[in-house]
Amino acid sequence: MKQYTDLEYLRLNRLQRLGYRLASGFRAIPKKLASFFAGIGRGIGKAGRAAANEFSDIFTTFINGDFKTKMSYLVMGFGNIARGQVLRGLLFLLFEIVFIGYMVLAGGYWIGMLPSLGFQGREEVMSKGKFGRSVTTYVYHDDSFKILLYGVLTIFFIIAFIYTWRLNIKQNQIAEKILKSGKRLKSGRDDLRSLVDDQFHKTLLALPLTGIVVFTVLPIIFMILVAFTNYSGANDGRVNLFHWMGLDNFNAMLNWSSGATSYAATFGEVLAWTLIWAFFATFTNYFLGMLVAMAINKKGIKFKKGWRTILVLTIAIPQFISLLYVSKMFAKDGLINLTLMDLGIIDMEHLLPFWEDPTWARITVILINIWIGIPYLMLITTGILMNIPADLYESARIDGANAWQQYSKITLPYMLFVTGPYLLTSFTGNMNNFNVIYLLTGGAPTNYKSTAPGTVGYTDLLITWLFKITQGAEAKYYLASVVGILVFVVVAVISLIVYNLLPSIKNEEDFQ
Amino acid sequence: MSEKSITASRRHMGLKAASRVSNTLIHILLTVISVIWLIPFVFILLQSFRVESTWQVGYVVPKTWGFANYINLFDSDFPRWYMNTFIVAVVTAVLQTVIVLCMSYTLSRFRFKGRKLLMRFMMILGMFPGMLTMIILYRVLSDLGMTQANAVPGLILVYIASSGMGYYVSKGFFDTIPKSLDEAARVDGATRFQVLKKIILPLSKPIVIYTILTAFMAPWGDYVFAQYVSMGTSAGKNVAVGMYGWLNKDQIASRYTMFCAGGVLVALPVTILFMCLQKYYVEGVTGGAVKG
Amino acid sequence: MASVKLTGIKKIYDNKVVAVHDFDLEIKDKEFVVFVGPSGCGKSTTLRMIAGLEEISEGTLEIDGVVVNDLQPKDRDIAMVFQNYALYPHMTVYDNIAFSLRLQKRPEEEIYRKVTNAAEILGITEYLMRKPRALSGGQRQRVAIGRAIVRNAKVFLMDEPLSNLDAKLRNQMRAEIILLRQRIDTTFVYVTHDQTEAMTLGDRIVIMKDGFIQQVGTPQEVFEMPRNIFVAGFIGSPQMNFFEGELRSDANGYNVSVLGKRIALDEQKCELLRRNGVAGLKKVTVGIRPEHLEVDFENGDSSVRGKVRVNEMMGSELHLHVSAQGNDNIVIRTPTVDLSAEHRSSLANGCDISFSFRSKVIQLFDPETEESLLYR
Repeated sequence: MKQYTDLEYLRLNRLQRLGYRLASGFRAIPKKLASFFAGIGRGIGKAGRAAANEFSDIFTTFINGDFKTKMSYLVMGFGNIARGQVLRGLLFLLFEIVFIGYMVLAGGYWIGMLPSLGFQGREEVMSKGKFGRSVTTYVYHDDSFKILLYGVLTIFFIIAFIYTWRLNIKQNQIAEKILKSGKRLKSGRDDLRSLVDDQFHKTLLALPLTGIVVFTVLPIIFMILVAFTNYSGANDGRVNLFHWMGLDNFNAMLNWSSGATSYAATFGEVLAWTLIWAFFATFTNYFLGMLVAMAINKKGIKFKKGWRTILVLTIAIPQFISLLYVSKMFAKDGLINLTLMDLGIIDMEHLLPFWEDPTWARITVILINIWIGIPYLMLITTGILMNIPADLYESARIDGANAWQQYSKITLPYMLFVTGPYLLTSFTGNMNNFNVIYLLTGGAPTNYKSTAPGTVGYTDLLITWLFKITQGAEAKYYLASVVGILVFVVVAVISLIVYNLLPSIKNEEDFQ
Repeated sequence: MSEKSITASRRHMGLKAASRVSNTLIHILLTVISVIWLIPFVFILLQSFRVESTWQVGYVVPKTWGFANYINLFDSDFPRWYMNTFIVAVVTAVLQTVIVLCMSYTLSRFRFKGRKLLMRFMMILGMFPGMLTMIILYRVLSDLGMTQANAVPGLILVYIASSGMGYYVSKGFFDTIPKSLDEAARVDGATRFQVLKKIILPLSKPIVIYTILTAFMAPWGDYVFAQYVSMGTSAGKNVAVGMYGWLNKDQIASRYTMFCAGGVLVALPVTILFMCLQKYYVEGVTGGAVKG
Repeated sequence: MASVKLTGIKKIYDNKVVAVHDFDLEIKDKEFVVFVGPSGCGKSTTLRMIAGLEEISEGTLEIDGVVVNDLQPKDRDIAMVFQNYALYPHMTVYDNIAFSLRLQKRPEEEIYRKVTNAAEILGITEYLMRKPRALSGGQRQRVAIGRAIVRNAKVFLMDEPLSNLDAKLRNQMRAEIILLRQRIDTTFVYVTHDQTEAMTLGDRIVIMKDGFIQQVGTPQEVFEMPRNIFVAGFIGSPQMNFFEGELRSDANGYNVSVLGKRIALDEQKCELLRRNGVAGLKKVTVGIRPEHLEVDFENGDSSVRGKVRVNEMMGSELHLHVSAQGNDNIVIRTPTVDLSAEHRSSLANGCDISFSFRSKVIQLFDPETEESLLYR
């Protein structure tokens, strides 16, 4: 495609400009991807070089170090203690003892079992009990679930140990240097004091990051690994061992060979509805919320605070109450149908199929989501609308803009500019909006054509579907993990594209 | 009066009349919206006082009024669920606020090695559906004995454990406090900890209250995870899980009005608290949410 | 009260951008040193390194003979006034000023005495119970200074303290800082981008550009003996005029041709050129300050002829923007006090004009290196 200079670009008409910007935005993607991968490549190269440096550094420190340093290679913290930094030294030593103890007692087993995920599951032992009756007892051996979980945990622990060991050596090296230059080493008290001052961030981050590693990172890694096994549900692993399956699950989920009845077809349908839902859920709320905010903000409107309070009130009420109640309201035997029947508008034969007909259900959830979302969007947009400098409007009015032109040329571009990132997170958030769908419809009406696990329905999003896959006796957790990974891929790709397109699209709307 | 000024004033009148018409329309529109938004809640309230029948009917205003539904609530497990939820909400509100503030303050104020990497890493973590991690968390919790009847500590642990990921809003707020205040205080002799205690926190009242409020409100509405952790044991349920069961096909006929009564009792304290602190909530949402 | 010594100080950011290059400076006890330069020249970074708010990448910083590189700001015993004042918005003026003393756990009695004393010096006693929000810009500035002076710190740092004030208030506060300095008599390091502030306040001025020190000297030194074109242009307002010229030497000494005239240099300048070993016949850049160009109302032989493009009436003086001899914007400063109405009208826009200058006041620079040929 031709690259335009600024002056050439100005001679294009609006459509051409938009096309040009979009095209150049998309054109930039391969380049950006290339530079992204090049960046990764460079990163790997850098990491390799850094690792080489580390190794040579570890080696030379050993050669050049004194006795205390050399000893620290074996006994962590030895150098620290010998040089008077007792607190640090003891912590190092303690960590080493705990690590070795753990590895000997348990860690070794977990790591050793990781490649196989266990050899022997539950064993039935028949024995003769009292009165000669035979009794079955169960003997449990390996537990694949635990092996996978603690295996990953042990790997984390080993990495942490290597890092600490390296730190211990580095500290020796630094301490030697400081002592050589005639300066004093930091005492244990200095260390403690720096934890509320120049090292305060470490103190502050310790707890939150531990939580995130244990309760988010570890489960996610576990989840990713499960996608490569045949682990199916909550209660096995102990009774029935599971095993590594390679890419079989991905093949099962994404294979098109059986056409419309394949899982891939279901996945495609659910993905399409998820994207449609996210689009409507995001933009209907956004524009209607903005409209309500502008209506309330308009000069001459009374009870501004009152209107706002009524809407905000609905945010306070826990969603499960309002969603469940509204869900029943729209049910076949719900308030709306009953009322309409009492009024004689419909009869028993023609109840409105809010949750029974796929199209009705889809439209109804979007409408109810508007009811849920507008108050929140109203609040957000009110704040931004009030931040738009009044002189922009004054200048536009003097230039002859009418109300619509003021909206489309000033308000909207400004809003889009400021809320661009919010819209993206809101879009991906809606893709994963479990609560609204699950509490309203539970995915209903069921899609009987699909052979995929989890009795997928027409309003199911990927997220509710994958939840259903993990439920019940037919649970196929490994397939849910595959769906989960695919959800991640979709979200990541959308984020990447939007982030790359955003700047080129809002070029002309630069308000800063 | 000259000809010209007459037309001018007439046009002026026209403008005024036009804006009066549009304002009237907007008032009507806002009234309609308010009614639509409030109706379900009014319905819940009305039906919670209905005594003559316990299932869904085609009218809203009860024929016989009474407190029977509320009294029945106390014969069920509802008080237990309510206490569970309340304890979880209070403890979560406190601990989660501490963690979120630690995280966001650090990311806003300190420039340490790996800070950008950490933020990017957390963004990527956020793209994974958290739903899937539940099953493993359930296993971990059950190994720790924190499931079913003991679901309360388990729920608290899980709610607060990853709360550091939700640092965006308050970091956005902290970013608006000029850095030179920190610097001035440090030159004045304050440690980083004193800066946080004496300068930043007193200035962050809105965001602290916002964080507490949202952390307090979330457990009232959580269904999925609470359902997982309680695993069908009634003593470990929270209100959402417990009351969800009442609307199942086999229970709805006898429990529908009780659901309404329970809904009123759940919504009441949260709503009152929310209304009192509304100002801070609005500040938090408009200030921090968009900046992200 | 202390000396500050910077040796080979460097600031390198993570992205390998070097903000400050090998900064060497010794600030004597009780000296008032001003760092001046255009924005982004590294002056604030240097100040913040002295304060401990910015890490020092290389070099050593000593306060009172002690290396303080690794000390936290709170342990360096310094006071600082920030550009945006950095008043704690949730505290009253009194609490703001008392903050540092409270952190030192001084007795309330002493705090009261010191704070009220400082407030009196600065004339803010009546605002002690107000919050910063309720103060005007000038009052906030005073509070910020008050917060610094109660400390009795070794070194007093000021980071563009006047740049947020309007012109009138700025002049007033400048005078007050001079008085304040006489009163508290400690070591000052002051950062500004305004050369007038630098000239009026500093015992010594450090002129910086792109992270390099351009010249260190007293106000008079940097004004009269600029080391390079940048310093010559930066100090003095309106800016010095620069012309292309040609330097020659003959038996009598040096002469320079500029604006179509050939002028012999006086003995002092010749001596300097000789000492610096400047060879004859050389392209040079000639600098002449606007106030050193004189309008000739009677055309003399030595006059340069030109045309007035813009005539700016400043009140006590006229700034004439003149084009002559291929130079488009020569600025001439002429006092108005002795100017007759007839002469004044002859300087209107578009009028012909002739002007002259004396060789004593001109500066000579190497056009390649931009260094002064006279002062090294």
